[in-house]
Amino acid sequence: MKSFTITLANRDGATFEVDAKKPLLDSLRAQGVDLPYGCKYGGCITCAAKLVKGEVNQKAQVALNNRQINDGYIILCVARPMSGCTLQIGVESHDRLYRNPFLDPLKPHELKADIATPREA
Amino acid sequence: MNDSCCGPGYASPAEAIQAPREKLLYSIAIYTGTGIQKPDYLVTIDADPESSTYSQVIHRLEMPGIGDELHHMGWNACSSCHDDASMSRKYLLVPGVRSTNIHIVDTATDPRAPRLNKVIDGAEIKAKTNLSAPHTVHCLGSEIIISMLGDAQGNAPGGYLHLNKDFEIVGRWENSMGNIPFGYDFWYQPRHNVMASSEWAAPNTFMPGFDLEEVGHLKYGRRIHLWDFEKREPKQTFYLGEDGLIPLEVRFHHDPNSSHGFCGAALSANIIHWWKDHEGEWKWEKIIDVENEPHPDWPIPIPGVISVILISMDDRFLYLCNWLHGDIRQYNIEDPHNPVLTGQVWMGGLLGKAPEVNGVKVTGGPQMIQLSLDGKRLYVTTSLFSTWDNQFYPEIRTNGGCMLMVNCDTKKGGMKIDPGFVVDFGQEPNGPSRCHETRYPGGDCTSDIWI
Repeated sequence: MKSFTITLANRDGATFEVDAKKPLLDSLRAQGVDLPYGCKYGGCITCAAKLVKGEVNQKAQVALNNRQINDGYIILCVARPMSGCTLQIGVESHDRLYRNPFLDPLKPHELKADIATPREA
Repeated sequence: MNDSCCGPGYASPAEAIQAPREKLLYSIAIYTGTGIQKPDYLVTIDADPESSTYSQVIHRLEMPGIGDELHHMGWNACSSCHDDASMSRKYLLVPGVRSTNIHIVDTATDPRAPRLNKVIDGAEIKAKTNLSAPHTVHCLGSEIIISMLGDAQGNAPGGYLHLNKDFEIVGRWENSMGNIPFGYDFWYQPRHNVMASSEWAAPNTFMPGFDLEEVGHLKYGRRIHLWDFEKREPKQTFYLGEDGLIPLEVRFHHDPNSSHGFCGAALSANIIHWWKDHEGEWKWEKIIDVENEPHPDWPIPIPGVISVILISMDDRFLYLCNWLHGDIRQYNIEDPHNPVLTGQVWMGGLLGKAPEVNGVKVTGGPQMIQLSLDGKRLYVTTSLFSTWDNQFYPEIRTNGGCMLMVNCDTKKGGMKIDPGFVVDFGQEPNGPSRCHETRYPGGDCTSDIWI
């Protein structure tokens, strides 16, 4: 099993060895980390966490718009680690996840991937 | 009418209005999206003014899992099988819109303390029917259908889950979704062989929150569909355009002979009315248009966002909630083409007109409503959907939701918030939770349909 070390910055830096092939939500919950989740297919954002350091593959997620991705959010129920990672987990990490859409509109390149247009130079 | 021979509910809307006053309310309360790692739960609220625990939560039934996002619910049986003595209104179906789990709750053995009877696992529903995200529950006779807003991967349009009376999965109810792009709410009126359905969006679109820009990219609904109910397929679509952005709750008149139906278009803040004319053609029109309101801190005026509508059992009054403005309105719709505003109350909302009611800070705005069968008491809750709450009313995380009661004048019209009733979900034992849909053990104004 190829594994990586996941560090939880807002859980006193606790570390966990996880399988590179499994979604982070499953691996962390199996080791006793209490995490929010909902749909388990990458569509509902309940399990969003902030990636502080490292890389993940979250191609299966469809919940995040490009602004949320640029702000570091990942969807734990489908994200698989590609390196050692440092995360902030839980609702405490959601400070930039939600915005009032009337007061803070998205630019065309900040929309979800299926409708975003490339950023103008 | 010999009641001893009969099944659940009432012989007619007129008989339902005469039913005894509701003494218990069931509402869901959620922790999904709040940061509190506890299951969502069903609360029982004491609504008997003679009781020492009036206006209090007297029981909490936790679901087995976390993250369900309980939302809407429905009965296993209603007045649609009133003539079937083998049926009874015993079970409340309580779906989790995020998990797709459907909880079957026995409310009859001890109405004050409902108990979990069975869970239909979301994974089983997805595997057998390729459906997810359950929303509206209606029974038709002894069968149950549930609008499912997505396929197993959260893509639109989803379809309709068909359960038998033993809560076994029969399969997909509909024979065809036709060209319907999105699902949401539905209601049927069998004497006209018609069902009406509305459009929210794909679960993958609305669940993460509301990106307003996606409305322009046609990822939110703007149509109402009429179905051939017997053939189980759509037969006609009303394209509402800009007048009907995000059409949500669908209600027909309770009178089974009436063809008049209504829907609230949330983002356009309009009420859409449809009916069958003398030539048998279905027509639609906009009958109410809530003006956007200016706000000192907003670059554009705030739309009302009509999150729900409800028709009184006597079909004389329509109620609507403007979740962002913070008002509930009562319209006399005795002439359904020409509604007359007869009442209005304020609670919460973004316009700051009633930040505190009955000593409780109202976070959110009037959202789900349920009316007593006699039309005199309207129960109101303030949370819409966890992710959308977090966008528009982020303080709800620490304040929780609340339930209030509005007294309604059924003769002349008029509304007044009852000063003696408030349930503050900010004070729940496990921390602030959010309340959504409400139902009564004896049936209510959004559950029963007459065949």
